[in-house]
Amino acid sequence: MLLEVRDLHVEFRTRDGVAKAVNGVDYAVDAGETLAVLGESGSGKSVTAQAIMGILDMPPGRIAGGEILFQGKDLLKLKEEERRKVRGAEMAMIFQDALSSLNPVLSVGDQLGEMFVVHRGMSKKDARAKAVELMDHVRIPAAKERVKQYPHQFSGGMRQRIMIAMALALEPALIIADEPTTALDVTVQAQVMDLLAELQREYNMGLILITHDLGVVADVADRIAVMYAGRIVEQAPVHDIYKAPAHPYTRGLLDSIPRLDQKGQELYAIKGLPPNLMAIPPGCAFNPRCPMAQELCRTDEPPLYEVSQDRTSACHFWRECLNG
Amino acid sequence: MVESIIEVTGLVKHYPLTQGILFKKQVGAVKAVDGVDFTLNKGETLGIVGESGCGKSTVAKMLVNLEQPTAGSIKYKGEDITQLSGKALKSVRRNIQMVFQDPYTSLNPRMTVGDIIGEPYDIHPEVAPKGDRRRKVQDLLDVVGLNPEYINRYPHQFSGGQRQRIGIARGLALRPEVIVADEPVSALDVSVQAQVINLMDRLQNEFDLSYVFIAHDLSIVRHISDRVGVMYLGRIVEIGRDAEIYDHPTHPYTQALLSAVPVPDPEAREHRERIILAGDVPSPTNIPSGCRFRTRCWKAQERCALEVPALAVPSEFRLTSGPAAHDSACHFAEEMQVVPSEGPAGELPRTPPDDLANGRE
Amino acid sequence: MPEPQEPEGAIAGTGMGGAMDLAVSEATTLEKGPGQAGGPQGKPRSLWSDAWRDLRRNPVFIISGLVILFLVVISLWPSLIASGNPLKCDLAKAQEGSQPGHPFGFDGQGCDVYTRTVYGARTSVTVGVCATLGVAILGSVLGGLAGFFGGFWDSILSRITDVFFAIPVVLGGLVLLSVVTSNTVWPVIGFMVLLGWPQISRIARGSVITAKQNDYVHAAKALGASNSRQLLRHIAPNAVAPVIVVATIALGTYIALEATLSYLGVGLKPPTVSWGIDISAASAYIRQAPHMLLWPAGALALTVLAFIMLGDAVRDALDPKLR
Repeated sequence: MLLEVRDLHVEFRTRDGVAKAVNGVDYAVDAGETLAVLGESGSGKSVTAQAIMGILDMPPGRIAGGEILFQGKDLLKLKEEERRKVRGAEMAMIFQDALSSLNPVLSVGDQLGEMFVVHRGMSKKDARAKAVELMDHVRIPAAKERVKQYPHQFSGGMRQRIMIAMALALEPALIIADEPTTALDVTVQAQVMDLLAELQREYNMGLILITHDLGVVADVADRIAVMYAGRIVEQAPVHDIYKAPAHPYTRGLLDSIPRLDQKGQELYAIKGLPPNLMAIPPGCAFNPRCPMAQELCRTDEPPLYEVSQDRTSACHFWRECLNG
Repeated sequence: MVESIIEVTGLVKHYPLTQGILFKKQVGAVKAVDGVDFTLNKGETLGIVGESGCGKSTVAKMLVNLEQPTAGSIKYKGEDITQLSGKALKSVRRNIQMVFQDPYTSLNPRMTVGDIIGEPYDIHPEVAPKGDRRRKVQDLLDVVGLNPEYINRYPHQFSGGQRQRIGIARGLALRPEVIVADEPVSALDVSVQAQVINLMDRLQNEFDLSYVFIAHDLSIVRHISDRVGVMYLGRIVEIGRDAEIYDHPTHPYTQALLSAVPVPDPEAREHRERIILAGDVPSPTNIPSGCRFRTRCWKAQERCALEVPALAVPSEFRLTSGPAAHDSACHFAEEMQVVPSEGPAGELPRTPPDDLANGRE
Repeated sequence: MPEPQEPEGAIAGTGMGGAMDLAVSEATTLEKGPGQAGGPQGKPRSLWSDAWRDLRRNPVFIISGLVILFLVVISLWPSLIASGNPLKCDLAKAQEGSQPGHPFGFDGQGCDVYTRTVYGARTSVTVGVCATLGVAILGSVLGGLAGFFGGFWDSILSRITDVFFAIPVVLGGLVLLSVVTSNTVWPVIGFMVLLGWPQISRIARGSVITAKQNDYVHAAKALGASNSRQLLRHIAPNAVAPVIVVATIALGTYIALEATLSYLGVGLKPPTVSWGIDISAASAYIRQAPHMLLWPAGALALTVLAFIMLGDAVRDALDPKLR
C-alpha cells in the first residue's frame, strides 16, 4: 500500500468547545489507484487530507490519535524537517481555488521553476526550461511564450492546469486533489478531470480525489469512501456503490440528485441537517436523519461491517440497505 | 391557451469601460447581455443555464430592476417595467421577487429573522396592517418549513439551507406572481439542495408562482424547469421545452455542455463520448462577428463569421413537428443525442471529428 | 469601473480547504427538518451581543475600560479625589518634592502637581471626546454618502481627502492655531476635526462600499426600499464597526496631539489646566525636579494607551476574523 490512514482522529478547539472533525478514519490508496473521498461540508474530508499533507493549522487543530503510513513510514512520527521533504516531492496537493493558490506577483514560470531550484538544486535557466516542459505536458498552448505570464492572465481552467503541473513537477507518488474542478465550468471541468486521470495513469500515481460531486466520482474513481461526521460510513469499489449502496446515507445522497436524462418527480431529500461536530449524536451519527434507524442505532456506534472482501459499511442494517 | 406573464425583447446590458479620474471617457464596453428574448408563461418554470460570465445573472438583476438595461424591454403583463419609476415601479416590484444565490450575504446579519421577513411589509405597508404582521411572518416561516418560534433569532444562528428558506420566505411575503431565483441551491450541500428544490416545487403549486430559475447545474435545471434556455456570451442560443433541449439538442454549444456533465453512473463512463470544446470563452468586451460561438465550434464555416444566426426554429426542422423543431441559433443545426440515458450502450452519441475532439483550451 | 464578471463561481458549499471545512458554522444552528419539531437550543443572539460577550471576557478590555471609566469620573468630578484648587499656587514651594498632603510634590509655580494632574484629565477627556465625536460624525456622514452614491461627488471628496492627508498635522497646528487668541479648548478641537475627518471619511466610504455590495442590500432594493432605508437600516449598521474601532484609537491620539500642541505653545494656554502645558513647563527642569514631568507625562501615556487598547479589544470583538 502506498498510503494507509489508520484510526485518525482530529479535533479543533473553538470558542464554543471542541469540534471533533475526524473520528477514526481508515483508508488506503495504492499506486495507480484513484480513491474518491465523498462527503458534504463538515464531513471531515478536507481535514483528513490536510492531516495527511501535514498542512493542518495547529492550533486550533490537533491530531488526537491514529497513524498515517506513507510508504511504510508513519508520517505523524516524523520531524517537521523530514516531513517537509516528503511534501511536494513525494506527495502533492491540488486545491479548489487555483487563483488564490498561486502567487499573483510571480510569473507562472518562476513558480513552477522554483520547485526544481529548491528541491533539485537546478540552475534558474534549467528550471525555466523544465517549467516550459511541464506546461507543455499539461497542454497549455504556446507554453514557451506564456511561461512569462502571471496567474491572472490565465483562464480558470488554465490556472488549474498550472496547479496540476506544479503538483506533478517532482513526480510525487501520491496526489491529493481537493475539489479540483468545483470552481470550474462544466465544459472546462471535463477537460481538467480527463487530464488529471491521464497523467495519473502515465506516472502510476495514487490519487485521492476529495469531492462532493457524485457525477465526478462516477467518472474517474476506482473506489469510494463516503464520509459523514468525521467517519467513513461506507467504502467500496465504484461500481458496487452506485449499483447498491450499503449505507442509508449513501443511498440518500444518490437518491437526492436530480437526473440529467429524465425529468423526475419529487426528489428524495435526506431530512434534517448535518450534525453539530461539537455534539455528535450518540450511537450512529446518522441516526437522527436515517429512515431505517432503530433503537440499536441510538445507543451503539456501528463498527465497520465487512460487506464483501473489498467493501465495508458502518451500518447495523447494511444487509437491509443493500437489498433496498 | 398559455398566458404569458413576462415578455423580454431585445434585452441588452453593456457596462462601459472608462478611463480617467474625474472626467471619464468611455473606451469600450463589457457586453454582459447582448440581445436576449424570451417569454415566461404563467405558472411555468423557465430555466436559464450557461457557464460563468454568460450573462445569466445580469438578466436576473434586470428582471427585478436591480440593473437598468442598456436597451430592450421587459414587459410584465404588457407593461414595460424598464420605463417605470416611483410608485408604479414600486407596485410592479411587489409582483416580481428574487431569491439570491448566497444565503450568507443575502440576509442582513444585524436584523432578526422576523425583521428580515417582515421588511417587505414595512416597505409596502398596504399589504398587511401593522397588527397582522407578526402572525404573517410566523405563517411564512411555517410555510418554508422553519419553526415559527425562531422569529427573534439572527441569521448566523441558522445553517445555509435554513437561511435559504428564510430568503425564500422574504421573497414570498408580498405574494408575488414571479420569482427570479439566481442559483438558489448552488451554495448548498447535496442533501440540503434536494430539500430546497422540493420546497420551491411545493410553493409553486401552493402560491401559483412562475419561476425564472437560473443555474449552472444542468441536472437541477432539468428537474425543476418546464422550458430551458441556454445562454452563451450574452445571448440565448437555444430554447425549448426540457425534453427538446436535453434529449434533442440542435445547437452545438448545448450539445457540448450536456455531453460534459458528469453523470452519477460509473457504467456510463466507458461508452460515453465527450465533446471537448476548443479554446476559451471569448472576452465579452470583444465578441466574435457572426455567430459568437464559432471560435469554439467544430462545425464553423465561413457563413458563421458573416451572418448572425437568428434564434428561431432552424429551416431543416421547420416542417417537422418533432422535438427537434425548437428555437436554436445555429446555421447548421442538427439533432444529436448526448445525454446517456438509462438504456443500453446502443445510443452512443455521434463523436466529433478527431482533430476537434482533441482540441484543448 | 466596469463590472464585467458575474459572481457565479460554482463553488458548492463544501469545504474550501482550511480548517473551516468544519461545520463550526453548523454548531449553533437550529434544527427543524420537515416533520420535526424545532429544537430549543440557544437564545436569540445578535452580533452586537456576541461582541459584548467576547468583550466581557477580555482582560485587555476590562483593564482599559476601568482606566477610562476612572478618567471619565474624575474629569466630571475632580473634587472627588482632589480637594485642592489647581490654580492656587504658592511660589515659595516651587519644585519641592513629595510631602504629606501633596503626594506628587509641587511644580515650578508652586502649584500642587497631584491636583493639577487630576484636573488635567478633564481637559484631555473633553478634547479627546469632542474631537472624536466631531470627526466621527463629519467623517462618516461625508464618507458614507460618497460611498453610497459614488460618481462625481465621490471623486471630488476623494481628492479633497488626498489634499488633507498631505498636510502635516503638527505644522498645520503651528500655523493655524498660532493666529487664534481664544483661551478655550474649542479652537484646538475645531482644528482636530478639520484635519481628522478625512481619515474617518475614507474608512466609512470603504466600509459602505463593501456593505452595499451585499445581497441583502440588493434584496431590500428589489423590494422597493428607498435610499434612506437602504442606508440607515441595511448599510450603516453593517458598516459602522470599523469606524467605531478607528475612532476609539484616534481618541487616544487626539489627547496626545492636544498635549503636543500645548507643549509647543499653540494649543491650550494657561490658566487652562492641561497635561501638555505642565509637561512643557516641567521639561526645562527635568534634571532638578523630574517629578514635575513624570506625573503628568505618566497620566498622559496611560490615558492614550488605555484608549488604544480599548480600540484593539473592540476590533477583536467586532471582527473575530482578524484574530
